[in-house]
Amino acid sequence: MTQNIVIAGGLRTPFIKAWSLFDSVGAEQLGAWCLRELVERTGLNPAVVDEVIVGCVGQPANAANVARVIALLGGIPKDKKAYTVHRNCASGFEAVTSAYEKIIAGQDEVVIAGGAESMSNVPLFFSKEAQAIFMKLGRAKTLVQKLQVIAEFRPKHFSPVAGLMLGLSDPVCGLNMGQTAEVLAKKFAISRKAQDDFALASNNKTIAARERLREEIMPILLPPKFTDAVQDDNGARENQTIDQLAKLKPAFERNTGSVTAGNSSQITDGACMLIVTTEEKAKALGLEIMGRIVGYDYAGCEPAEMGMGPVFAIDRLMKRTGVDLKSVDLFEINEAFSAQVLACLEAVKSKSFAQQFLGRTEALGEIPLEKLNVNGGGIALGHPVGVSGARLILTALKELKRRNAKRAIVSLCIGGGQGGAVLLERCGV
Amino acid sequence: MTNANLGASASGLRSESNAWKLTVEDGIGILTMDHPDSEVNVLTSVHLEQLDKQLDALKTRTDLRALLFASAKKKIFIAGADINEIEKISTPDDAFQAAERGKVVFQKIEDLPYATICVINGACLGGGFELALSCWYRVASFSDSVKIGLPEVNLGILPGFGGSIRLPKLIGLLKSLPLILGGSIVGAQDAFKKGLVDKLFYEQTLLQDAIQYAKVLGGIHHPERKQSLQDKLLEGTSFGRDFVFSQARKDVLKKTKGFYPAPFEIIKLIQSTYGKTGAQVYKEESHAFSKLGATAVSKACIRVFFLSERYKKKGWSSVKNASAPKAQPAGSFQVNKVGVIGAGVMGGGIAHLVSSKNIPVRVKDIDTKALGGALKEAYGLFKASLKRRKLKPHDMTRQMNLISTGLTYDGIKSADVVIEAVVENLDIKKKVFKELASVVGKNTILASNTSSLPVTQMAAGCENPSRVVGLHFFNPVNRMPLVEVIRAEQTSDETLDKTIAFSRKLGKTVIVTEDKPGFLVNRLLLPYLNEAALLMEEGLDPEAIDRIATQFGMPMGPVELVDQVGIDVGYKVAHILQDAFGERMKVASILESAYQKKLLGKKGGKGFYLYDKDKKYRNPEIPFTAKSGISDETALKRMMYIMVNEAARCLEEKVIDSAETVDVGMIFGTGFPPFRGGLMDYADTVGLASIVEDLQAFEKQYGSRFAPCKLLVELAGQNKKFRS
Repeated sequence: MTQNIVIAGGLRTPFIKAWSLFDSVGAEQLGAWCLRELVERTGLNPAVVDEVIVGCVGQPANAANVARVIALLGGIPKDKKAYTVHRNCASGFEAVTSAYEKIIAGQDEVVIAGGAESMSNVPLFFSKEAQAIFMKLGRAKTLVQKLQVIAEFRPKHFSPVAGLMLGLSDPVCGLNMGQTAEVLAKKFAISRKAQDDFALASNNKTIAARERLREEIMPILLPPKFTDAVQDDNGARENQTIDQLAKLKPAFERNTGSVTAGNSSQITDGACMLIVTTEEKAKALGLEIMGRIVGYDYAGCEPAEMGMGPVFAIDRLMKRTGVDLKSVDLFEINEAFSAQVLACLEAVKSKSFAQQFLGRTEALGEIPLEKLNVNGGGIALGHPVGVSGARLILTALKELKRRNAKRAIVSLCIGGGQGGAVLLERCGV
Repeated sequence: MTNANLGASASGLRSESNAWKLTVEDGIGILTMDHPDSEVNVLTSVHLEQLDKQLDALKTRTDLRALLFASAKKKIFIAGADINEIEKISTPDDAFQAAERGKVVFQKIEDLPYATICVINGACLGGGFELALSCWYRVASFSDSVKIGLPEVNLGILPGFGGSIRLPKLIGLLKSLPLILGGSIVGAQDAFKKGLVDKLFYEQTLLQDAIQYAKVLGGIHHPERKQSLQDKLLEGTSFGRDFVFSQARKDVLKKTKGFYPAPFEIIKLIQSTYGKTGAQVYKEESHAFSKLGATAVSKACIRVFFLSERYKKKGWSSVKNASAPKAQPAGSFQVNKVGVIGAGVMGGGIAHLVSSKNIPVRVKDIDTKALGGALKEAYGLFKASLKRRKLKPHDMTRQMNLISTGLTYDGIKSADVVIEAVVENLDIKKKVFKELASVVGKNTILASNTSSLPVTQMAAGCENPSRVVGLHFFNPVNRMPLVEVIRAEQTSDETLDKTIAFSRKLGKTVIVTEDKPGFLVNRLLLPYLNEAALLMEEGLDPEAIDRIATQFGMPMGPVELVDQVGIDVGYKVAHILQDAFGERMKVASILESAYQKKLLGKKGGKGFYLYDKDKKYRNPEIPFTAKSGISDETALKRMMYIMVNEAARCLEEKVIDSAETVDVGMIFGTGFPPFRGGLMDYADTVGLASIVEDLQAFEKQYGSRFAPCKLLVELAGQNKKFRS
């Protein structure tokens, strides 16, 4: 590998709880606002952008290949390319790593990569049976025929299935994401208290980081009134207490479970965009180099234990790059669930896990809590599924700079049983 | 009978060579028009005579199955009748004869014994479309250059070659009335939907396809129009028709306030001829035309049309050196991005205008709330276009996305043009220009949207001041067609040219002024508003003042206008002018006191009037004295003549290059009634001697502000006019 692939600019929208402030804004609009503002702020000439790659899990039905829609609405010229990627919760990663691959392969030189997600706008689906009746109705010609078809409708036909629930369920192992977290809680004996403590810490870190996070957030003036700019994430709760968390009922296993809405990531709308290019090009364009991508990898794992994905991915990343966890200054493990992150921490330091599953003789190492998710994570910030990967990279690079530190590993678990991890490094430190 | 490209058809260029060429192939005749001396096909009386002879010969041809009318010009079928000829019509009888001559020829087309098809490849307007209407069928290409309509009403006349009869017959009352009364021009797809054309073909194969179409048709006549239920109820019953006509009258009255007789003549004509056939109805059309063709209103409309066409292309160099005009390299200046500094009402309006022309625009302000306000302004304007179906939802989304906002100069740096629209304060503007000049590229045009402050001073102290220029938009930006481009002392020719090209890209009519306080429009308008305020002080009620002005034809009375503009804004401009011109423009004390009372005008709900939803009442906070004895006539003269006098001063001081520029500025910048031809044309009509006489009397009675200026006295003394 002869050239350094760098992140040379990044920006995100505030992360906003689904069905709240961004309820009426589609993913394509969130992405377009973010992309245009990134271009404006960095002074990047949109004509030098070769490609726009966007991760999006719940692709809007009204904006197929949402990356292309974002590129055009965001001011990238028509002759440029754009495509959308989907690797579930790591779609934002996938956008960045795809950009890396495209640039290494010599296909592109400057890519805007990121994610856009409006979980508020994942559609509801009618049952196949109801769909059939609607189709019949469309074909009916006379009034009498129409009435006959309408008479076939039953109340059950009008209770649609939430696409969001379908999206967060694994059709292979038959569990929804929360249930996979319950599996890990049991396997690694992660107590309810430990999960809630972790959630509270995430919440408090996010609240304490509000000012810092503004460095990576663009304020948004919302139509139709355009009054008060939305400039902060709204997931974290002021004055949250451990007692409040303890009172919540388990969300996925009503009687026996420990995973609650309070110790799970939030359903969120948002977008994040990064400029990915070579070090040389970034310098030529006068862009500020935030850091380089040293390496990355994805790994598959047991779907019912998808939350372990980061461990497998970090293992491969270490083998690929030779990095030692001790030399890493910051870690981001996306907080899908408290139980899942805590399970990962256990596995990383477990010799037996390493021997049994990773073919290693020693444990991977240790991820100290004080280096992990220092500005909070998905539990407090929210987890717009297609965006989080890009957000983790942005947040980690901003934090490295603030600390004048060098290295960060960012990783994600991926629904369906995968993990992803990226090693970032600030240049010249 | 009009078209935009008519400037080319100057009289005197005509030749006697035949514009019509007949070719026959396989039993299909093609009569092609090709104006020998012009790039544009225009129907002059000569061309009509030539056509007349052709038709006489064609009538007896038994070898023809069909005849096609076509054009040899690219993108133009026939742009209309010759407006120069219409302008020369001086009596009703002339007008009657002119209409008769044309329609006799077109009747011959209709009477041909075989199918006739008009092949429309581009502009097909006025007389051109009336020709098309006399054919059995009309076909057109999908091309964007296809533009079809009867815009006669805009020239104060009506379609006089049978169009007023044939169009309603072809597509019915409901569809034809708005087309004729609005003078609207439609594209190919719309024309097809409305039934103006029967078929659309590809541009490349239009003529071949039309020939094929003629062969397939054989001798079948155009089918009768299919009527919808709504048509049957509204057009098929006398009750329904009466309703349609009375509604049309109401709409027209609302729009024209009764100043323009043409639309009423059109309604009257169609009401009496609709559904009838025979030679008599066409005679009626000629009679109706004769009532309009020689009127002063029509002459003024034609003059304004010519003016506006000319000013779309007019070359400007330094006003002081007007003898050396230079053609603008129109459209050669590529603007990829515009910056706007200051997110007030004007900033928001400009952002909307720029983005509506598909150019990205970055708005900067020091206040997030203001940025939100600008976005809201633009959003509201887009929504309004959406409502009027001028815009599709996806276009609104796309264009709204072209506007972005920020608190820093990020995103402004890469702009090709930056328009400053911050508060009217010279020191702040100076600071802005200095900052701007240090962040943007060396050749970025820096324009100030100031309404009256000296641009030369703003430019002083900033890097490369030759790219600083004034670019004064009028409120509301999207509706007012004028911009004043102000050439400051250091503005370079290149900057001026680029700014003019950019303004025209935004669809605006440009006048260039020198950098004198108030430039042209505000320098004339403020004395008018101030005079209205003085009249109020003297005891004339605001309602009376506004009535006098609107009866004259102004779109809004001066008192209401001050409220609309904002008393704070008006006050500031008034003071800038008072500082510049002294006693002559001393701000009326009633305006002073309204400002001191912090009355803002309509935006604050309180001005000289109180505003409550759509209603307005006199504001008791304003001390109105007892009724004065000032006559309507005197009041009007005082308000108008003070402007005439000031305009003469602007000419004297060479603030602008010509009286015509004053007229363009006043009509397109303030809505001065077009049917009066503009302020200077109005003054010429009244007579300069009589104006000077009145001004002298006013001077004695009301003070030195009325003292007629030297140029005005001179012209009056020599019995000359402003218009040379």
